[in-house]
Amino acid sequence: MMRSRSPWTAWLLVAPATIGVVAFILLPVLVAFGLSLTNWQLVGGGGFVGLENYRALLTGGALLNSLVVTALFTLMSVPVAMALGLLLAMQLNRALPGAGVFRVIVVIPWVCAPLAIGVVFSWIYQPSYGALNAILGRRVEWLTDPSLALPSVAFVAIWQAAGYIALFYQAGLQKIPSSIYEAAELDGAGPLRRLWSITLPLLRPTTFFVALTQIVASFQVFDTVYALTGGGPGRRTEVIASLIYSEAFTSYRMGRASAIAVILFVILALVAIVQQRYFSSRITYDMS
Amino acid sequence: MTVRPSHRNRPGAAGALFAYVVMTAAALLTLAPIALSTMTALRAPTDFLSQGPLHLPNPPTLENVTQLFTREDSFITPFAVTAQMVAVILAGQIVFSVMAAYAFAFLRFRGRDALFWLFISTLMVPQVVVIIPLFLALSELGLRNTFFALVIPFVFGSPYAVFLLRQNFRSVPQELIDAMRVDGAGHLRILWNLVVPLNRPIIVTLVIITVVTHWNSFLWPLIITKGPDWRTLTVATSALSTQYNANWTLVMAATTLALIPLILLYFAFQKQVANSISGTELR
Repeated sequence: MMRSRSPWTAWLLVAPATIGVVAFILLPVLVAFGLSLTNWQLVGGGGFVGLENYRALLTGGALLNSLVVTALFTLMSVPVAMALGLLLAMQLNRALPGAGVFRVIVVIPWVCAPLAIGVVFSWIYQPSYGALNAILGRRVEWLTDPSLALPSVAFVAIWQAAGYIALFYQAGLQKIPSSIYEAAELDGAGPLRRLWSITLPLLRPTTFFVALTQIVASFQVFDTVYALTGGGPGRRTEVIASLIYSEAFTSYRMGRASAIAVILFVILALVAIVQQRYFSSRITYDMS
Repeated sequence: MTVRPSHRNRPGAAGALFAYVVMTAAALLTLAPIALSTMTALRAPTDFLSQGPLHLPNPPTLENVTQLFTREDSFITPFAVTAQMVAVILAGQIVFSVMAAYAFAFLRFRGRDALFWLFISTLMVPQVVVIIPLFLALSELGLRNTFFALVIPFVFGSPYAVFLLRQNFRSVPQELIDAMRVDGAGHLRILWNLVVPLNRPIIVTLVIITVVTHWNSFLWPLIITKGPDWRTLTVATSALSTQYNANWTLVMAATTLALIPLILLYFAFQKQVANSISGTELR
């Protein structure tokens, strides 16, 4: 490690990024904490109200509803997208002719704007003029039936994530030495046994990374929901970010919205800590 | 007992069939929404209403696309705004993140580890937590609905990019850098002639991720812009779909136009994209 001739060089190099991190992430987070203790309105400001926003949120139904909706959305989308991603990666990873073409295709959703895809699916799901009901030949209210709306939104999230997840699993699979599979096969292990006893344990670091990033992303989902349902019917698809948006930019209650944002922040921090603990306590295999 | 040579990469006929079924199903499901959007965009509204949603364009027409560009709130503006926004954010993020990552990887200065820890700790901050304070501050300064407000939160680099770059920069042998220092090279020369060329793949990765993220970004442009002047493509598409919520051929023309540029860009760079995404796994 070299000592720079003058510390100013180093400081000049890190200065812009540091300004960015401090002014546009760190300070806003602190301000959000502060705002959450006020009844700040978009017009007219507001004053200190202590924990009133939190009390109102915890006793009212909207926050709890959005937490449940977000958790259900995550449970419906992340495990399915991960399982499909792994299944897909295992097939793409066999050296079959033409696999390269499929590999290119399945990543396309990653470059697609969630908002635009949400609008496309809002048409596909549309009961009378939508493509899906035309294919099925029956009328289903995909986005307005209270019990179907959230699964329909989750499907779009799965569509968007599965191919992307497959890329990570492919990279993980390529690091597993084929000699392990050959040895297992000699010992008479069938395909399911090999999946359970070799592939899944050796993919654990990939699974950890993908699960963490997908859960964190899923708890922040906004664009897809905004385009598809706007949170409805009722509040059946009102995820946390939708609730924050409507509190802040429809009701203009900045203090209340900030309190929800702070709660989301705390939840995501807990998710990261719990996952870190859980996975680091399990055996990992060094394949280097 | 006979020992059969086995390679997991050479499945039997049944395994190969299964693989093709899975891959084909995945490809069809992946392409279907995009194909449907494109197909509908190329249909005349009357054709769509009379023939139903699944018909091929008969005949294909650019009527919807033309309408998007000639109507009062032309789609030309959102295209231009989005392209400029992405270009400015991209330039700022890459230059400033590379600079910071270089200092974190190779220089020793007071407070370096504390500062790096600060960067890492902001990685987990959800965007939705910072947008309200940023929105209030920029509104207070009278900067709402300006190009400045669209780009300023992102132009100084991102902690994620700094972290990813620093991890990769550290694989450059310190001796190489020290040798160049001894020869009298300044930091900018070392950065430009040694560190950047050796780390081209990760920089390309970040370019791709930044373009995709900001071309597709929606929440910040949605709240900070108002009216048609500084709308991005996503915001314009959303506004159009609300305004013309029964005119599906026009709405699908908008979504198709919003999706096509990045899909084409992806085809041009698909090799790098595939390598990129799996290279972002933080360790």
